[in-house]
Amino acid sequence: MKKIIIAIFFISFACSVFAQGDFKTQMATAKTSYAAGKLEEAHFALQQAMQELDIIIGKEVLKLLPQKLDSLTVNTKDDHVTANAGFIGATIHRSYGAMGKASVEIINNSPLIGTLNTFLNSALLGGMMRDENTKVVKVQGYKARLEKQGENENGKFNYSLQIPFNSALMTVTVNGTTENEILAMANTIPLQNIAKLIQ
Amino acid sequence: MKKPILLLLVLGAVCAYQPSHAQLLKKIKDKVNKTVNSSTTTTTTDSNTTDAGTATDASGKPVNKGGGGLKNTPPPDVNQQMTDAEQAHAAANYSDARYSIQQALIGVEIQLGRELLKSLPDPVLGLPKDTTQDKVMSTQWGWNNMTIQRVYTDKKDKQLTVTIGNNALYSGLVNVYFNNAYMVQADDKDQNMKQTKVKGNKAIIQYDDSKGYTLMVPLGQSSLIVWECINFADETEVMNTANAFDIEGIKKMLGEQ
Repeated sequence: MKKIIIAIFFISFACSVFAQGDFKTQMATAKTSYAAGKLEEAHFALQQAMQELDIIIGKEVLKLLPQKLDSLTVNTKDDHVTANAGFIGATIHRSYGAMGKASVEIINNSPLIGTLNTFLNSALLGGMMRDENTKVVKVQGYKARLEKQGENENGKFNYSLQIPFNSALMTVTVNGTTENEILAMANTIPLQNIAKLIQ
Repeated sequence: MKKPILLLLVLGAVCAYQPSHAQLLKKIKDKVNKTVNSSTTTTTTDSNTTDAGTATDASGKPVNKGGGGLKNTPPPDVNQQMTDAEQAHAAANYSDARYSIQQALIGVEIQLGRELLKSLPDPVLGLPKDTTQDKVMSTQWGWNNMTIQRVYTDKKDKQLTVTIGNNALYSGLVNVYFNNAYMVQADDKDQNMKQTKVKGNKAIIQYDDSKGYTLMVPLGQSSLIVWECINFADETEVMNTANAFDIEGIKKMLGEQ
């Protein structure tokens, strides 16, 4: 038994080192390519290193997300961090409760941020786009867009809360809930600490 | 008797002449002043539409006449930024590490851009380059973040602008054109857009009376070379111009296949 535990310990240690090693390997490749004047290779290696970093940041953010949203417990197996295509940051995903009930998704460096920020900051656009299904709210001091997205099979509404940060977007989706419930859930997420990591 | 009368007449004529001479002189002086003044007023009014001498625009705000401009900041020190990134990463300061890598990327891109610019031909079919308009632009998005620009001009009315890299303005058009077979534009007389080839690479050439010729060659997965030709004689001249560029070399420098 002891041997198995030690073996597992070494394997997991190796895995985490490997992940970190990827970043270090990429940086080493970038440095040698740059010194040799191979600019395109240095460029590519730096992009790979950035992607590795995005994944590491993603995993740190997952550690900050709460284990429970109201009464909904986390589905640890569904946790994932994926690097986005085109070297544009990473997507962090966590779900809570039964399948499809609630999820928190953070897209790091999404180009859609610009549009959403304009929407939130422009009084005119915000006014024009506001209907009975969307409104601008504040969560822990951050402006956010709350949208009602239809009903579930029990007749309760599905909500989506989009909170833009400087260069990332967090979307909290809860199906079959009320406005107050989703806002209360969002308030349990440590937005300021997450913002520090992803910006 | 006749002699004194004649003398008197001459004297009278001389006297009469004096005032008109003065008048003539005054007329000349006035005309000179007018021309001198009008030339000075035109130089001050040609840059704004208000009266000569006033330095405000229609809303009363003063019009800027000049300034020191902005100093070019040197590109980031790539080696330093890479070291900073590694140190920040080791200290688990991931946000700072990310920033340093972005700076390193910008530094590399600017260097790449400058090398690319150096590799471009000069002159191109007699048109000399205008290095004051050389540009290397780096954005943060996408596979290929860099765009470079070079202008060739005869300082009169003929100009060629070459843009290489990620081109948001034209890449949408190029993708639609090459990926949608139905989109072929042809009037009954002349086409204003058609497919062609530059050194074996697929290309689109467009013509517009107000813009001149625009030739676009997609490079690999995400880049584009665009030649914007103003006051070029015809299609052949545009194609010859494009053929003067080492497209395979450019592809290689950008890391495209």
